[in-house]
Amino acid sequence: MSHLDVSGKKLMLNEEGFLIDPNQWDRQVAEVLAKAAEGIDKLTPEHWAVIEFIRNYYLETNLAPMVRSICKTTGLPLRRIYELFPAGPAKGACKIAGLPKPDGCV
Amino acid sequence: MASDKDPKDPYLERIRQLKPGQLESALASFKRLLDHKTVANLQSCVNCGLCADSCHYFLVTGETEAIPAYKLKLVTSVFRKLLSLLGGLARGSEGDGALDSQMVEKWIDSLYGRCTLCGRCTLNCTMGINITRLIRIARTTLASIDLVPPGLQSTVTTAVEKGNNMGIPREEWLDTLQWLSEELQMEVGDHKAHLPVDKPGTKLLYTVNPREPKFFPLSLLATAKIFYAASESWTVSSDYYDVTNYGLYSGDDGAAGLLSSRLRESMVELGAKTLILGECGHGYNSNRWEAPEWLVAEDKFQVKSIIQIIFDYIRQGHIKLDPSRIQKRVTLHDPCNLVRLGGIIEEQRFILRNAVTDFVEMSPNREKNYCCGGGGGQLSMTRYAKRRLETGRIKADQIRKTGAKIVVTPCHNCIDQLSELNREYDLKVEIKTVSEVVADALVIEKKEK
Ligand code: SF4
Ligand code: SF4
Repeated sequence: MSHLDVSGKKLMLNEEGFLIDPNQWDRQVAEVLAKAAEGIDKLTPEHWAVIEFIRNYYLETNLAPMVRSICKTTGLPLRRIYELFPAGPAKGACKIAGLPKPDGCV
Repeated sequence: MASDKDPKDPYLERIRQLKPGQLESALASFKRLLDHKTVANLQSCVNCGLCADSCHYFLVTGETEAIPAYKLKLVTSVFRKLLSLLGGLARGSEGDGALDSQMVEKWIDSLYGRCTLCGRCTLNCTMGINITRLIRIARTTLASIDLVPPGLQSTVTTAVEKGNNMGIPREEWLDTLQWLSEELQMEVGDHKAHLPVDKPGTKLLYTVNPREPKFFPLSLLATAKIFYAASESWTVSSDYYDVTNYGLYSGDDGAAGLLSSRLRESMVELGAKTLILGECGHGYNSNRWEAPEWLVAEDKFQVKSIIQIIFDYIRQGHIKLDPSRIQKRVTLHDPCNLVRLGGIIEEQRFILRNAVTDFVEMSPNREKNYCCGGGGGQLSMTRYAKRRLETGRIKADQIRKTGAKIVVTPCHNCIDQLSELNREYDLKVEIKTVSEVVADALVIEKKEK
């Protein structure tokens, strides 16, 4: 376990850099996680479209969305999602959106 | 990023507060798992130490706790103590192998936390001891008192409760299949091309790793394209299509048997001829080789890997490949569960020699290959993630030495670990499944309408 300090707030992260308490998430936290997980300095509107959809989907269903839904909602082609988040939808996008690590081979 | 000691780790708390009744029940489970082969194995180690260098954990860390013989000893000492309690005359039976909470903690740290059940030590043991199986027996013992590490346990639980290990709802699986059908139609220029669901009486029933529909559908699209080119009679099930079986890793035989039996249910329901296991090493090993031990009924059909099917397509001329399309150097990672433990060794090499121009082997390879570090449930056990990445260095070095730009592996579990190693060790390679490479080289002939 490790932590990150974001403007006075102490964020607890698990050994893979996922936020332990998803409620600690806000946009500023996302920027910091993006830097840590993906080395992204500045999140673009395309990044945000993906992150916000994942975040809202998670708040409603307690699940990470299928990559199919991410493409459908944001209008971004699949290959673009992989370019935006080289660590992948789980270890990149979902992590930055403050979700816990999904189960399975990811 | 600062590091903290977790003040209260609920899992560790559970271990430290184990009640005597739970420990007795664990010991009783352990005893039930001891058949004559296991007992012989537990008494055969001659302390030669030759297994040490076969384990990627030991090679990287040099820690005693990583030596296979040490792991074996943890199990053996409990066995000897048990035997002395039963009045047997085991060598050194006096021992300190009480199964108390300290021993449980050691078991967990070494047998879950420092082992991928890769089988490499077994291959190298002077005495032919099946160390890997004994480690799994210890995991089964721990599973019997609900002490499987959290991420691994939740992956098993999700699979048991939701029908697949990522908890994908049925409608979303169907929606993704529909989407992939549209993509396939565009790629092959045939509006009849599609991914068939619940089609009765097909030759093949195909199974996938849930991470394909969930996050990485291009591999499934690639396989569908190969089936299309070969005019195959195939289908997937709308219910039970998950090829993975984390019960193999957690040690929970009950869950493992249930998961394997569901694929059989799909087979019977749809009346398919052959069960095809998608590119998943442990899915192959568990559903092909281990399942008969877990299941009650005997299979009345064949169980094969998709790799064997693609191999046959090429050999029998059912698909045509143009290797000149892939000029970059390609190497192959052998998934432990498919190769060393599964026996599918040459097929993937034959496929690659036909699909790419410059194929080179890693060294060592085939059944002697090193584990990528992601097996044994390690991908799901976040608490050991640092060790997983650290011990993956052996694989990273192997890859770098080949000078390859593309690493192919017929296992989604390995793919995920290799992708992390790619970033961690800055390998600058692409990582692909066998289907993806074959689909790239595929020459699609116009179908007669
Ligand atoms: S099975 Fe593999 S990881 Fe486990 S002890 Fe043996 S060599 Fe090491
Ligand atoms: S190689 Fe086999 S016999 Fe030798 S120390 Fe290892 S487990 Fe024991």
